[in-house]
Amino acid sequence: MKWTLLWVYLGVMLWGRALPGDAASPPTLIRIALGNDADTLDPHEIDSQESQSIARLLWGTLYSVSSDGKLTPYFAQSYSMSEDGKSFTFKLRPDLACENGARLTARDVAYSFDHVADPAMKYTGHEAGFVLPALQYIGAHVIDDLTVTFSLKTYNPIALGLLADMYIFCRANYQAMSKEQASTHVSATGPYRLVEWAHDDHILLERNKAYSLPVPAYDQVLFRIIPEGSTRSAELIAGNVDIITGVAPDQIDPINNSDTAKVETVASIRRIYVGFNQSDRFLSAPGGKAIRDPRVRRALQYAVDVPTLCSALLRIPCVRPATMIFPANDLTGIKADPYDPDLAERLLDQAGYSRQADGTRFEITLQTPRGRYPNDTNIALAIAQFLGDIGVKTKVDIVDFASVFVPLSRKHAAGPLFLMGTSGASWSALYDISDLPSPDGGANYTNFSDPDFFAGWKRIEQTRDPARQNDIIRDMMTVFHDRGTWLLLYFLPDVYGVSNRIRWQPRADEIISID
Amino acid sequence: MLGYLTRRLLQCGLVILGVTVITFCALHMGGDPTYLYVSERASEEEIVATRAKLGFDQPLPVQYGRFLSGLLQGDLGTSLTYHTPALGVVLQRFPATLELTLCAMLMAISIAVPAGVLAAFHRGRPLDGGIMLVAMFGQSIPSFWLGIMLILTVGLGLRWLPISGRVPLLDPLFAGQFMTALDNFPKAIPYLLMPSMTIALFSLARTARLVRSSMLEVLSQDYVRTARSKGLSEFRVVVHHALRNAWLPVITMLGLEFGFLLSGVVVVETIFSWPGVGRLVFNAINHRDIPLVQAAVIVFSVMFVGLNLAVDVIYARLDPRIRLT
Repeated sequence: MKWTLLWVYLGVMLWGRALPGDAASPPTLIRIALGNDADTLDPHEIDSQESQSIARLLWGTLYSVSSDGKLTPYFAQSYSMSEDGKSFTFKLRPDLACENGARLTARDVAYSFDHVADPAMKYTGHEAGFVLPALQYIGAHVIDDLTVTFSLKTYNPIALGLLADMYIFCRANYQAMSKEQASTHVSATGPYRLVEWAHDDHILLERNKAYSLPVPAYDQVLFRIIPEGSTRSAELIAGNVDIITGVAPDQIDPINNSDTAKVETVASIRRIYVGFNQSDRFLSAPGGKAIRDPRVRRALQYAVDVPTLCSALLRIPCVRPATMIFPANDLTGIKADPYDPDLAERLLDQAGYSRQADGTRFEITLQTPRGRYPNDTNIALAIAQFLGDIGVKTKVDIVDFASVFVPLSRKHAAGPLFLMGTSGASWSALYDISDLPSPDGGANYTNFSDPDFFAGWKRIEQTRDPARQNDIIRDMMTVFHDRGTWLLLYFLPDVYGVSNRIRWQPRADEIISID
Repeated sequence: MLGYLTRRLLQCGLVILGVTVITFCALHMGGDPTYLYVSERASEEEIVATRAKLGFDQPLPVQYGRFLSGLLQGDLGTSLTYHTPALGVVLQRFPATLELTLCAMLMAISIAVPAGVLAAFHRGRPLDGGIMLVAMFGQSIPSFWLGIMLILTVGLGLRWLPISGRVPLLDPLFAGQFMTALDNFPKAIPYLLMPSMTIALFSLARTARLVRSSMLEVLSQDYVRTARSKGLSEFRVVVHHALRNAWLPVITMLGLEFGFLLSGVVVVETIFSWPGVGRLVFNAINHRDIPLVQAAVIVFSVMFVGLNLAVDVIYARLDPRIRLT
């Protein structure tokens, strides 16, 4: 009898309950499904792309980057640069506020920078690990409540864009928090505030009432964490989420064929390329000497059919870039190398690497991380096949990203060939080429050391004229292209699923914006 | 009984020690973990300093000794992802996994036992064949495939159940918020059904086969024949005489099954976006969050060993002959 009662109770309760998929969501809520949870919500430590998308809604920046790559004033009304380019003075908006309603002043802005820059704090996120070192940041000086000046060691033509990467938060709220508390307790300055973070499940944001600037259309933003790609697609088609990230190639057709959602793609700022490591350590390795010859590197460019790689393995059409600059910023006019295996073979013959009796010209190893970039191992295997077709016998070495690939690339020891993806920016060609700041620069993973290229940086430092800078960039990229520095593949297509319920366009910089 | 318990406890300790050795070695074979603790852009000096600070420059046996000493004090290190004690992170997710496993276990038992009894009772007839065929399928279907098929058919096609997510049930209960737990109960059940079924199917099939064979053995015993000759109803014979004795091997098996169900949650929690320990481990492995993986493996192994010990004790209580072996 008691079992019967229990089943009746369960039946009644379940019957009377509307499932989440059945109910239409309020139009003021937007639901975004991410593959990974945020790693932290401490503005000092934020690094991952997921966290960056959430952080942009929680905290403001002095300037912001629009979807078309323009730097526009945000928390700052204007800025001025000193004659020597070593200091920037920002005039803040007068109506800025912390989440608790307190006024946000220049002191908070200065603290937002200086606290992250403090070596004693040992922050390792994007701001402390990349932005401030790249700026060669010295410190902030508060002029008055609405004016703050930042000092840099040297002139940096992309300083404004880098400054736009720094989140502004309120000193009083964060001074009182430990690092552990700051990772989960948010005090917002942006359009939204944190309501709830259930790790690995969801993050719910709602309008920040203290925020006085124009706000997005949605009252609430729900980030759901759904690691499995096919589950994300099912939730989208069922109408339970509005945007999904990282749509796998096999999910594109089911989404497009549904009545409820469609796929949106954008060529992101992440360049995928094969690096030729020209380090001495590979001189004795198979193929190591060959790829030091620019003629060989140029030959290999012609051997890989990039559009076919994209359509077959990523299921998205793509265009092979000619330079490392994001196409919207690329004013060089340099043309990409076409797929021409015959030309590749001729160039290799001219370089002295003729086919031997077994058809092989030389052997080489291509290292690739596993699971770091969409379909990376298959892309590497396909490249090996293309190279094999012109007589370059290529062995693919598939390695774990975090434990093997990162340490190797950090020491500039991946290779002799390696598959890599690095981010540029949607707002600056100079930022894009800053991967190669010097022969021993941190992101110069190929140990590229051509003096003609690096002389360009000295010339850029000597001018403030953007047109002149563009000319110098063209010269540098001509060297980059002619020497076959990287085997450029594509700007990684980011694939999103978007509900028909909303109108939304993806951005190239991988930030999920809901403006 | 005390001697038996002491012996079993010692064995359990050795098993857990073995697990720590294997886990520690496996995770340290993947390369220098120092790189996981520093920014991708850290300088060589920072890397060397961090390596020394964390003791990764010490020989592996020394590192293991330090790990073991921490373990004895309940300190399994700090999660690289969450920047908080790894054990705390695992225990925080444990209610979600326990909820799923208990529901799967309940589902498996409530279907497998009647199915096994029915199959045994109708031995050689079409019903027996049908049940055993379904059981064979249950043991053959991979859980990740079943999960995705359930999502596509029951969740997306029929819209009967939510596709992914969770409404907490045990968390408020453990926090003493009984009314919240009660309120959440009807909301939580739809979310539990598909992932629980995905985990339970394999166990359900295996348990049904075991119940059937155990029942067949018992049904041929003299005391069952005696019960029947006394004129008892068939229901009474089966439930009160046969099933009670057929339970013994099933109970032993269920202890192991609970452990298998726990280990099965890794894939299922990922597919159904269930925020439990299984998914935590999956993410931790992807991010090479070594302290978190170690903590989760140790918690799982302690649970597994503990359950088996409990089953052995129960079994020993039920069958006094066990104490002698």
